[in-house]
Amino acid sequence: MLTKRQNLIETITGGHPDRYVNQYEALGIVLFNPVTGGMVMPGQTAKSVWGVTFTWPAGMPGQFPVHDAAHLVIKDIEHWRDYVKVPPVLYPDEVWEQAVDQANAIDRSEQFVCPFVAPGIFEQCHHLSEIQHCLMYLLTNPDEMHDLIQTITDWELALAEQFVKYLKPDGLFHHDDWGTQTTTFMSPAMFEEFYYPAYKQVYGYYKSHGVQLIVHHSDSYAATLVPYMIDMGIDIWQGPQSTNNIPELIRKYGGQISFMGGIDSGWVDRPDWTQEHIAEVVRRVCGECGTHYFIPCASQGLSISTYPGVYEAVSTEIDKLSKEKFPRI
Amino acid sequence: MSLESVKTAVENGKVKKIEGVVQEALDEGCSAAKILDAMIGVMDGVGDKFQRNEIFVPEMLVSALTMKKGVAVLKPYLGAGEAVSHGKFIIGTAKGDLHDIGKNLVAMMLESAGFEVIDLGVDVPAEKFTETLRENPDCRLVGLSALLTTTMDNMKTTVAAIRAEFPSVKIMVGGAPITPEFAQSIGADAYTTDAGSAASKAKELAD
Repeated sequence: MLTKRQNLIETITGGHPDRYVNQYEALGIVLFNPVTGGMVMPGQTAKSVWGVTFTWPAGMPGQFPVHDAAHLVIKDIEHWRDYVKVPPVLYPDEVWEQAVDQANAIDRSEQFVCPFVAPGIFEQCHHLSEIQHCLMYLLTNPDEMHDLIQTITDWELALAEQFVKYLKPDGLFHHDDWGTQTTTFMSPAMFEEFYYPAYKQVYGYYKSHGVQLIVHHSDSYAATLVPYMIDMGIDIWQGPQSTNNIPELIRKYGGQISFMGGIDSGWVDRPDWTQEHIAEVVRRVCGECGTHYFIPCASQGLSISTYPGVYEAVSTEIDKLSKEKFPRI
Repeated sequence: MSLESVKTAVENGKVKKIEGVVQEALDEGCSAAKILDAMIGVMDGVGDKFQRNEIFVPEMLVSALTMKKGVAVLKPYLGAGEAVSHGKFIIGTAKGDLHDIGKNLVAMMLESAGFEVIDLGVDVPAEKFTETLRENPDCRLVGLSALLTTTMDNMKTTVAAIRAEFPSVKIMVGGAPITPEFAQSIGADAYTTDAGSAASKAKELAD
């Protein structure tokens, strides 16, 4: 029986996996690090290292940036440097101990050691400026946006250097949502101009410093951006929604990139979820997507669910299907 | 010629030029109402292009912002009620839902289509909608969005509260987990998938 890690490699290289990679099982995600700090917890409101205020109301599935007039960071894009304070990345060795311990506890024969980066570069831009303004600035203030993006990119590169130094990662799990359920936030041409070069730099750095597996999360439509994803070094796109027509993407791009998703969280992560319904969804999705270049996974950006038990229920059904579709195990 | 310049400026999102070209059109003798109609017509086309994925959110937003700036120049020249052709529209996200991107896009498109938008923001309880309707008895349209399966129930509660007190008010709903079937089951009058179609549907319901 292959290890989880070997099985993932076989799956994404078109080799001989002996079962489905079950959601996040092959990713050892190091959530905490001293540079980006922790996330706001349910019921809390706090500032990120970039000065963005986040709140996580109890009962909600995640944190949200607060963008009222008092909290919005960039109040004037033409003078964004007056508002944005780039956070430090250099910390003493002892501050890294918790993250290093977390990385060391991961069995590298089973899992890739993946530092966690969120928000991504586009998300950081719109957290700082509010999304509708951010999207407009790409048209009305392209020079300022190029400068802002490069500043965030440089910070991400400095962060990557620290990850490499302390955690010696062989994987990366990086968030950046690039679309809605049905379309990308911007045209492919605009993405190519603004965000593709930034990620080419960041993911290129990781790839040239020992990282073999880059997993990028965008739980959205982004099918038209897949050629850029491949070129910037993404090995697995995590979170593709069914609206992307994943079977077609696999046929078109399998071997260059793999797809980890297909099970839209909106279908399964509901108050009225049942094991039977999840079984139906998982069976249908796996039947459509096959066994290569595809990892069945809920679209959510971590191994969690909003409703207790849903993530585990999806995993159970994937294991059941593995026994059917990979009869050797 | 200047009216064409106004249309081109709105279509191409020329935010910095719009005030000048609108003023030129006025100076050349175009009536404010005619310029407003022309801009609304252009925004209809922008919404259609967005629905067909020919343009994306940034282009749509910049056109909407351009129109807003153009309307500000026109306002002193418009007669009472002329600046708003379709009336008021109250909008907000369902209680418990802080996702405001879609709601903001719809609000901008509604403004561009000639509605006076009363934006209640995010995480809006049912009572806030009914209270605002009481304060605005001339408002006939309400829009509600939810991005979370967890807040769909709250959407249902809000629709029921509005229905109970204001049976003739038309209610539009939208958001990622919402389906036409769900919209119908909770008694909403319309469901749309994006900002462009929301503006079109709102005009249809208002007329």
